[in-house]
Formats: sequence, structure tokens, C-alpha cells
Amino acid sequence: MQSAVLADRIQFAFTIMFHYLFPIGTMGLAPFIACYTVKGTWKRDEGALRAARFWAKIFTLNFTIGVVTGIPMEFQFGTNWAVFSARMGSVVGQPLALEGIYAFFLESIFLGVFLYGRRFVPPALYAASAVALWAGSWLSGFFIVATNAWMQHPVGFRIGPGGSVELASLPALLLSPFAWWQYAHVMTGAAIAGAFVVAGVGAYYLLDGRHFDLAIRFVRAGVIAGVVASVVAVFPTGDANGSEITQSQPVKLAAMEGLFQTQRGAPLAILGMPDVQHATLIDPLYVPDLLSFLAYGNLRANVKGIESYPADVRPPVELTYYAYHVMVGLGTIFAAVMGIASLLLAAGRLYRARWMLWLLMLLMPFPFIANEAGWMVTEVGRQPWLVYGLLRTAQAVSPTVAGGETIFTIVGFAGIYFVLGVLFLVLVLRQIGEGPGADEAPAAARV
Amino acid sequence: MNVAAFVLLSLVLTAYVLLDGYDLGVGAVHLLLARSDEERAASLETIGPFWNANEVVLVAAGGMLFALFPLAYAASFSGFYLPFMLVLWLLMGRGMAIELRGYFANDLWHGFWDVAFCACSALLAFLFGVALGNVLRGVPLDAAHYFAGTFGFLLNGYAVLVGALALAALALHGTLFVGWRSPVLATRATRWTQRLWPIVLALFAVTTWATLRVHPTHLGPVLWIAPAAAVVALVALSRLHSPFQRFCASSVFLVALMVAATATLFPYLLPSFPVGSGGLDVMNAAPSGYPLRTAVIVFGFGLGAVAIYGTLATRRLLLRGR
Repeated sequence: MQSAVLADRIQFAFTIMFHYLFPIGTMGLAPFIACYTVKGTWKRDEGALRAARFWAKIFTLNFTIGVVTGIPMEFQFGTNWAVFSARMGSVVGQPLALEGIYAFFLESIFLGVFLYGRRFVPPALYAASAVALWAGSWLSGFFIVATNAWMQHPVGFRIGPGGSVELASLPALLLSPFAWWQYAHVMTGAAIAGAFVVAGVGAYYLLDGRHFDLAIRFVRAGVIAGVVASVVAVFPTGDANGSEITQSQPVKLAAMEGLFQTQRGAPLAILGMPDVQHATLIDPLYVPDLLSFLAYGNLRANVKGIESYPADVRPPVELTYYAYHVMVGLGTIFAAVMGIASLLLAAGRLYRARWMLWLLMLLMPFPFIANEAGWMVTEVGRQPWLVYGLLRTAQAVSPTVAGGETIFTIVGFAGIYFVLGVLFLVLVLRQIGEGPGADEAPAAARV
Repeated sequence: MNVAAFVLLSLVLTAYVLLDGYDLGVGAVHLLLARSDEERAASLETIGPFWNANEVVLVAAGGMLFALFPLAYAASFSGFYLPFMLVLWLLMGRGMAIELRGYFANDLWHGFWDVAFCACSALLAFLFGVALGNVLRGVPLDAAHYFAGTFGFLLNGYAVLVGALALAALALHGTLFVGWRSPVLATRATRWTQRLWPIVLALFAVTTWATLRVHPTHLGPVLWIAPAAAVVALVALSRLHSPFQRFCASSVFLVALMVAATATLFPYLLPSFPVGSGGLDVMNAAPSGYPLRTAVIVFGFGLGAVAIYGTLATRRLLLRGR
């Protein structure tokens, strides 16, 4: 049984982490496509429309891989986590079904209109379809985060017959402050990724001496969006998330910060390696009292350490701690780089600052790492619970699926996803290499 | 309310069969209908703008089953673990084939994805039929309503027969869609419609007879009307000349099949094998009261909105000059 649980967890973690790379891309790029399309249509700005079409091609590739890797996620709740689905389905099934009905249709129908209808539909509908694409992708993010937030902090439910958990209030689930702060932070993360990709591709064209007119648009839009998003990621969204976690999952906070002993005036660990066996941080670099201040707004506040919780509710400390520090460290770097880049932009020197263009280009993959790390904190830090305080992960798996079956399908997914990843990279790099305006027809229509 | 939930879910599944049905059908006959590279691009282009939204119907149906009947979702998805994984991988292969084929102007690249598209689509149509067949026939369930059978149990004669009917009916649907949407391929599409028509009729007759044997049931009025409507639609299909009307006749045929299937199944979602020994039905698989009521209302409203704006938005694409 234990090996089945481990196999189910590995399969879910692997498939969700691979899948999530692509929604980051679609949610991050959709606002750029919508803004470029609306601006281009409104002001008859052909350059903005070309920019929108270029990013739509990258978006479409992300969307395609996102769809094909997303369907397994919805299946897996039933295939691998049948006890969870059977007992909690009336709650978690709701936002998942709402995602399909209220978000995916919007996204997929209007993607069809946007890609195929440019010459057939009136300009207003063309622009509206780009905005619908943005709305669809961000709505789908909301329903997924609402589902996850309920698993982190269950609200609006009652215990039904046979111990099943039933929905008692849909508004309570959808309007939970925990969900909204988590959503704001997740969307900000995606926006940072989109901003770095747009700025990075623009920087690449500038360094390569190509597509100058669009390249400066990309760099400018990416840097402006990036500096706003990377500040919002820290405050208020990151900060508010921290407060929600402090209130409802204090042991996760302790694991994130590597705080083993309960302390008055707890320090914030900037660096250090958690040693769980000896309940200590190795080679720590502390800022005194700061954790107490961040968590409770008071330098002398008492912060409970991991040791003060029973062993059977503690999350795995190492993964939670490292993932959190990777996220925060990268977030700090993003804010710094985007801050400096925006100063250069304001001074009119950004397009000639080759060192900064190099930096922007090379930083492109890192927001994806930061997003994934953030989710690792959320999900690993939630352990050993699947639904916080209600259902343990180890008790939620399908009774009829053996560990060996899952290991077999993990190998299958690994193979398919390897091919998908290679194909995606080849095709995206090729699109970027071709540049904007190279080929306007939608991919499927080309011979 | 439980019955309303069942009807709503049946409606969405029927919409899936109609909409993604033509995508799968176009795929199943892709290599037969379209011979040259240009023709195959034209065949893909008929479904290009629509297939993704059509596949979302399946995703929505999955989410609705999860919310409306959690026990049936959990039992069927975990019980049919390996077949479901196979379906997933085939869906991935089909999606990649449709979207990635056009990225390189290379015959080998195109040829590979053409075969992948055709094989994945045909297998999916067949497997969806096999799944429906097994649900109609019932599967072994234990006391907690989890699947207690084996993989081999699922590959029985009846399920394979329903799979064959699904493949043939959707292939027919696909030829009619291509005949309606693509002037380049219309002639060959019509020829394949004529070839597939008697096969579908024969399989339909045999399956109807077999269904009465594996699922002894009260023959209510719906179970007379639906098969009769299916026959009428099939006959009409062979008489009509306008491609669009023929496509509509095929749609009526598929709706009639789905009505017959769901009416046979009702009130069960997943009957225990053999039929008559209980199973998961609309009452014992659903949550009670508030969650079910909320779900039916919120889902129904959203689906209505989708139907309206989806029709309005895609009408523009359908009406474009051919």
C-alpha cells in the first residue's frame, strides 16, 4: 500500500509540474496578446497587431501542450485518488467542472476565432476574441486555485452521510480570502513569467540586430509589466499569502522558514541547510527578529517551531524549505533586475545596455522555476494532508490500482512528456528564430 | 434533482458525441479520404478551428461527473485504470498530430502525423464504444462499489460490438462533415459515406438485438421511439442530397443512439454485472440536496451560455466563403 501511495504521489507531482509549465506561458502571454490586439485594432497600429500575432503563435503552442497534458490531471483524481474523489467530489468536483464550463470553452472557442477568423470576422470581434482568450485563461487559473485553496484551507463544507464531505456553500468556497490571495499571487507569478519572456525575446532580437521595431516594443512592454508584477509578487500578494499560511497552516510556515524551535523574536533564515535529524539549520545566515515581524507584525512575537508539533502533522522540511528559498531568492532577483531595467528604460539607455539585454534574455527560464518552486512549497508543505485536517494523503488513493500499475504509467508519461518537451522546445525556438511576420497562416492550415 | 443531474450529464455526453464525434470521424477516415499532402491538410483544416472546443466538452463532462456523481467517477476511473490511461495517451497523440503537423513543410513529418492522427482517432472512437458497451452490460463491483473485475473482462464480445458500431457511426459522421465543409474532398467523402452506410445499418441492427440480450429491461416508450428514430434518420440520410442536411441526419442518428443508450442505462450510472444486481445509480452515487442542486443550476446556466456564444462565434467561421 505504501509503495502505491508513493507511486501515486510521484505520478501526480511529475505530471502536474510538467503540465504547469504551459499554463504559466498561456496565462503570462494572454494579457500581452489581448493588449496588443486591442491597441492595434483601436489605433490601427499594424505593428501592435503583428506583435499580437507573433505571441499568439507561441501562445498556441503552449496552449496545445497545456491541453494535452491537462486532461490527465482531471483524470488522475479519479484514476489514482478514488477515495479522495468519492469522499470529496461534491466539493472539489464543483470548481473543476466550473473550470471546464466557464473557462475552457471561452478559451478554446475564441482561440479558434482568433487564429482562423482574422480575415472573416469584424475587427471588433477579432479584438474581443483576444480579450476572451485572456479572460478564459485567467478564469481557468482561478477555478484551479480555488480547488487547491480549498484543499489547503477547507471552508463551506459539511460532513454528510458515511463520512463524505459535502459542499455547504459554493460562494464560501469561491470567495474564500485564502483562495483570492493565493490566486493573486499565482497570477502575479504567471505575469512575471510572461513579462520576462516578452522582454527576453525582445532583448534577443536587439542583441541579434533583427526586428528592431518590434524588439523595442517587446523590451519596453516586458520591463514595465515585469517591474509592476515583481513588486506585486512580494507585496501585497506574497505577504498576504504568508499571513494566510501563518493563520491556518503554521507548521507549514515553520517548515518554509526552517524554524525548528519555538522562539520569541524568531530570526529569518536567509541561507542555511535544514538538518532534520538534529533539528537545526546548518551554516545559517539570520536576520534577527525578522520572522516574528513578518508573521505577526511584532519583533518579539512568539513563533512556534516544527518541534512543537506532533510528528504526524509535520510536512517534509527539506523540500518545503529549499523550494521556498528558491522562490523567494529568485523573486528578489526578478524585482532587482526589472527595477534596474526600468530605470535604464526611463533614462532612455535600456536598448543600448547590452549587459542588461543579455541578463533579460538569460533570465527567461527562471520565472518558470520560481513558479514551480512556489507550488512545491504549497503542495509539499500541505503534507501529510491531502485536504488540510480532513483527509490524509496516504488514505486517499485508489484501492483498486496497484503501485506497479502506476509505476508502469509513470514510465509511459515520462516517455511521452520527454517527446512533448523536445517538440515544444524545437517548435518554440523555431518560431522565435523565424521572428514576427514570417508566416501569418495558422499552423494547421499550412501544407 | 438526481434525475435532472443524469439528464444534464447525458446531454453533455451527447453533445460530445455529436461535436468531437465528427473530429474523431474525420480522423478515422483521414487516410482513406485524403490521399495527397494537400488533401490531408484540407482534411485537417475542416476541424482545425473547432476540435479543441469540442474536446473541452469531454473535459466538462468529466468534471461534471466528478461533481454530480463522485462515487461513479471514482469507481469507473480507478476501475478502468489502464484503459483510461490508454485513452489519455491517444487523446494526447491526436492533439499533437492536429496541431504539430503544419509546423514543418516536410513529407516525412506530415506522413508521420497523418498516420498518428488517423490511428489515434480510430482507436479512440472504438474505445469510447467499448467503454459504453461495458457500462451498458455492467461490470463486477465489490461491496464498496469499486471495480472487482479484470482487464480481460472489459474486452467482451458485446463491448467490442458497441466499439465497432461507435467507430463506424463516427466514421460516417466524419465523412459527412468533410463532405459538407471541404469542396476539395467532397466527392471522395460521398463515396465513403455510401460504403459506410450499410455497415452502420447492419452494426446498429446487431447491436440493438445484442443490447436487449445483455440488458434485459422494460421496454418503455423511449426505447421504441429512439431506435425507430435512428432508423428513420439513417434512411433519410441516404435520400437527402444537401451535404448539410445529410450531416444533420447523421447527427439525429447519433442523438437517437445516445438517447437509446442512456434510457437503457437509467437509473444506473454503472450497473453491477450482471444487470439487475444493483450498482451505482443516480441516487446512491450522488451527494444529497444543496451540492447537487447548486451544481445542476450553475452547470446548466453555464452550458446554456456556452451554447449561445459558441454558436454565435463559430457561425462566422462556418459561414465564411468556401
